[in-house]
Amino acid sequence: MPISSIGGGLSPLTTGLPSASPAKAAGADFGSALKDAVGALDQLGKKADASSLALAKGEPIDVHEVMLNTEQASLGFSMALQVRNKLVDAYQEVMRMSV
Amino acid sequence: MGLFSSMRISGSALTAQRLRMDVIAGNIANADTTRVNGQRQAFQRQQVVFQPLQAAPNSSGEGLQVAAVVRDQSAGRQVYDPANADADPNTGMVAYPNVDTTTEMTDMLSASRAYEANVTVLNSIKQMAQRSIDLGRA
Repeated sequence: MPISSIGGGLSPLTTGLPSASPAKAAGADFGSALKDAVGALDQLGKKADASSLALAKGEPIDVHEVMLNTEQASLGFSMALQVRNKLVDAYQEVMRMSV
Repeated sequence: MGLFSSMRISGSALTAQRLRMDVIAGNIANADTTRVNGQRQAFQRQQVVFQPLQAAPNSSGEGLQVAAVVRDQSAGRQVYDPANADADPNTGMVAYPNVDTTTEMTDMLSASRAYEANVTVLNSIKQMAQRSIDLGRA
């Protein structure tokens, strides 16, 4: 009974991986992506502020609309906060690295 | 953003149910109205017609909107009351609206429960988002 090598059916692991490309390939660098995200977060906050103000002024706006807007702003902010925490963690991890 | 789109769907349903509530309140308020725009005429009860909010013709729908507020054309009740200011001078009959308070009450319950259901959906969406944010918390 012939014994075939077990490595024959395996393809190299690297073929499925995307080739390492420079970070600028997509056209957007990290700084502008961060700027966009913070801008979107700011929009959410402004929307929430505007609807709360409208409710306080007695304008015809539904209460659930205000709650939804504030909830969206709050969720967006917690998400951004978590992303920031992760970034700081990564930075500290690198700084702790012994050379 | 995907998360906020599902919040918008439930939000549109909340708005629609609020409008339905307004229409029901108007019906109950006018349950005995015998004069419309200064004319001797019974008030006709109004109903809301819902339709899915669709951006594209074949999309699964992005919520709910009120297509129209229509008048119920069915006949109202006639009451013999010659002393009433709005009684027909010949027959003495007063035309009352076709508003049935029982129907309006059940409609109101239905609207209120639908509102609650959508609030529950919203809470679930919010909790899911919160859980996914908690994922990042070490």
